[in-house]
Amino acid sequence: MAATDRATLFTEPACDHNRDKSAKERKAGCPKPTPGGTSGGCTFDGALITLVPIVDSAHVVHGPIACAGNSWDGRGSLSSGPDLYRRGFTSDVGEQDVIFGGEQRLFDTIIEAVERHRPPAVFVYSTCVTAMIGDDLDAVCAAAATHTGVPVIPVHAPGFVGNKNLGNKLAGEALLEHVIGTVEPPDVTDLDINLVGEYNIAGELWDVLPTLSKLGLRVRACISGDARYADVAAAHRARATMVVCSRALLGLARGLEEQYGIPWFEGSFYGVRAMNDTLRQFARLLGGGELAERAEELIELEQTAVDLALEPYRERLAGKRAVLYTGGVKSWSIVSALQDLGVEVVANGITKSSDGDVEKIQELLGPDAKIVTEGSPRELLRIAEETRADILVAGGRNQYTALKGRLPFLDINQERHIPYAGYRGAVELARRLDLAITNPVWEQVRAPAPWDAAGVA
Amino acid sequence: MARVVTTTRRAGLDPLKFSQPLGGALVFLGLAGAMPVMHGSKGCASFAKALLTRHFNEPIPLQTTGITEVTAVLGSGEELVVHLDAIRAKQRPEIIGLLTTGVTEVSGEDVAGQMRQYIAMMEHTTPEGAPLIVRVSTPDFIGGLSDGWSAALRALVSAVPFDGPDADDARRGSGSGSGEDTVAVLVGPSLTAADLDELCALIRGFGLAPVLVPDLSGSLDGHLAPSWQPTTTGGTGLAALRRLDRAGLVITVGATAAEAGVGLAARTDADLVHFDHLSGLRAVDALVTELMARSGRGPTHEVRRARARLADGLLDSHFGLGGARIALAMEPEALVAVGSLLHDVGAEIVAAVSPTDAPVLATAPWDEIVIGDLIDLEERAVDGGAELLIGSSHVRAVADRIGAPHLPVGFPIYDRLGATLRTTAGYAGSLRLLVDAANRLLDHHHDTDHRMDPHRDHHAERRDVSQHRIDPFDELDVLCQEPSC
Repeated sequence: MAATDRATLFTEPACDHNRDKSAKERKAGCPKPTPGGTSGGCTFDGALITLVPIVDSAHVVHGPIACAGNSWDGRGSLSSGPDLYRRGFTSDVGEQDVIFGGEQRLFDTIIEAVERHRPPAVFVYSTCVTAMIGDDLDAVCAAAATHTGVPVIPVHAPGFVGNKNLGNKLAGEALLEHVIGTVEPPDVTDLDINLVGEYNIAGELWDVLPTLSKLGLRVRACISGDARYADVAAAHRARATMVVCSRALLGLARGLEEQYGIPWFEGSFYGVRAMNDTLRQFARLLGGGELAERAEELIELEQTAVDLALEPYRERLAGKRAVLYTGGVKSWSIVSALQDLGVEVVANGITKSSDGDVEKIQELLGPDAKIVTEGSPRELLRIAEETRADILVAGGRNQYTALKGRLPFLDINQERHIPYAGYRGAVELARRLDLAITNPVWEQVRAPAPWDAAGVA
Repeated sequence: MARVVTTTRRAGLDPLKFSQPLGGALVFLGLAGAMPVMHGSKGCASFAKALLTRHFNEPIPLQTTGITEVTAVLGSGEELVVHLDAIRAKQRPEIIGLLTTGVTEVSGEDVAGQMRQYIAMMEHTTPEGAPLIVRVSTPDFIGGLSDGWSAALRALVSAVPFDGPDADDARRGSGSGSGEDTVAVLVGPSLTAADLDELCALIRGFGLAPVLVPDLSGSLDGHLAPSWQPTTTGGTGLAALRRLDRAGLVITVGATAAEAGVGLAARTDADLVHFDHLSGLRAVDALVTELMARSGRGPTHEVRRARARLADGLLDSHFGLGGARIALAMEPEALVAVGSLLHDVGAEIVAAVSPTDAPVLATAPWDEIVIGDLIDLEERAVDGGAELLIGSSHVRAVADRIGAPHLPVGFPIYDRLGATLRTTAGYAGSLRLLVDAANRLLDHHHDTDHRMDPHRDHHAERRDVSQHRIDPFDELDVLCQEPSC
């Protein structure tokens, strides 16, 4: 990737996290991997997260087996129909290709994928090795598109250029450049919307869609969760965009605004307050008036139903103490969701949050809460002990930190199997918190073995 | 003797293959206080880590040297030093396995030279408490998981420094004095924690003391350790590795461990016996014969009972499995092990797919093995009318598509718990696999008999249960209740 392109990517005026950085920090781009702490995902991973949930397309990885072999069919993003996104396609670059070039092999792989499955489009991902050996991804994709008559989209996001967030961004760029605007939908309405950064993890989108449709909203493109290529390609005909918990895809929302005049807002589906706010924002962007009134009616209705469903959990969860360790927008949206339930957030991690997020967290938590800046497993367990926490709420990466520390755990990130979005998800969150904390296993695993018990010689 | 054929297709479709560094990392994960480090970019470890976590349901210690596009081009020697220093300071491993990847192999970096320098420097500055660092060349673009395992095991047994003969032993004369005889047992990737437990118990039953290398039954068997730690919480320790030279016998179990066994036996002058696998009556009998000769003892009561049970199980399962058409996709060693066991009860292997080539494949007692991917398994399973598919969780999707039952064996198994408790080897382990396979066929027959009977057409609506279609709204509650694994 040319240095200038990358510099542009790091100038994201819509991102206050970016605006908050000094000129020097911005120029430095993504943080370099921390020695001894290099376990996060790479740029290629980020691109896959954003694009693979376009479920009817073939996703071809141009690289050695490590990149596709270790990752295919590994996502929690669900589909209501096609499952081509769950299949693994790779050029499986070998030693010969490293020396003589892997372009022919990639071309053959794309043709094979198209002939076998006739997908509406093929996404092709470069990787570290194929970027280094200088394969011309654009040329191969163009040739394959001509040969097959199917759009073949090059995604330049080799792993070593940065972290996962950069991959999200680059995927967004690829969509703006090659996909969005290429299909004219026959059925445009005034209430078509886009969701950006919603991945339908564990089917979360399906808990939100009924609420949106009660307001008359129709999701044109969800980028990307349970998405179809033609819908994403027609995203330019939507009337409003919501960016869901993803700083990295603000550039895509801004691009949709600049190129097609679609207004956007940043919101969240987690928790009752956030959900209410989302409905109001959509109503506002789509013209207010009668729609705004209906939104208020809907909110009142849902709020009443949800309060009723939450009542038993509020009683059981009152006064429970949680350590929260998650990133970005979710850190505050989950704080408010937990507080809605009467759970006290005794410590909160902020490693990935912008200064704005941190202010918001401090406002929500008050002065006594502990702000965690270092998230090593050892440190998290120490804090949990110090704050006498009942549960750790964090990403799947920390699941075993908690379990091995005999601490109840609730998975809140990417890899989880349970949906927490929307009003229905808010109730599910309460139920799962309660189940995690009150499960009978904790007492058993914390009890000493017979030979360790006091009084045994 | 099987014919080994390679597909002419130039695309990886539903890949069966995993990368060499992943296989290499597994070897180090079976050592105590260890940290495998992939010399590559962040993603090299994060994908592998996610996959291993899904399989073992355990935290996986795994780091990278964080190569960026700049260091990949301008040289990564400095990064290597910085990251190794940090890992030594933060995680304090006793053993570090440094595995190269595609990135660092393509850039033509002299990793061997850099590591020699680093180790010399480290031993100079911290003579006490310096970890054992083993470098393994494992480019992603050559070979696969089994090749990586083999390379790492070879590198480990040739790099580990030996303590030399025990002073007490030397005084008493050649090795017979200190009670039990140590046996070095080098194993391949097909043996699960439960397999390794049975193997060790068998060897101990003859009064011998096995040292497993590596020992995934000690580290990733799923155990709750007294406290959290950033490196592996079990497995073969450095002290035991340093005393491997005292073993008078090296046993290799699994074709993937064969070369490392030759290396170790040559280094220590020990006797060497090799078994491609321990699946089935004859295979385990061969090991028991060897152990009887070696120890001069007869088998224990438990071993006799286990053999009698397997013999009986062969009889009980031969009705169901005899003539059953079975399709397999696995790493080479496991493929030959599981295929041989089923072949021994008269099953017909209609498709056998291996991700990579290996000498052991040619020894399989059926006609043909294909080097390919899951798409090859699917095509051949359909052509051969397969009644049962055996392989990793990825194979489940293939089985669902063609409407055949699936038995999870191999790596990775992420759609159910207890992957490490599944067995393939030993008298008891072979029996459990046979029983599981026979039961999968029986389950499926129970299900399908009703559906296919034309006189029971009112049950027709049940035919769709295997389709796994998810209706977004109606099925949500069902979806939510699925146990997460």
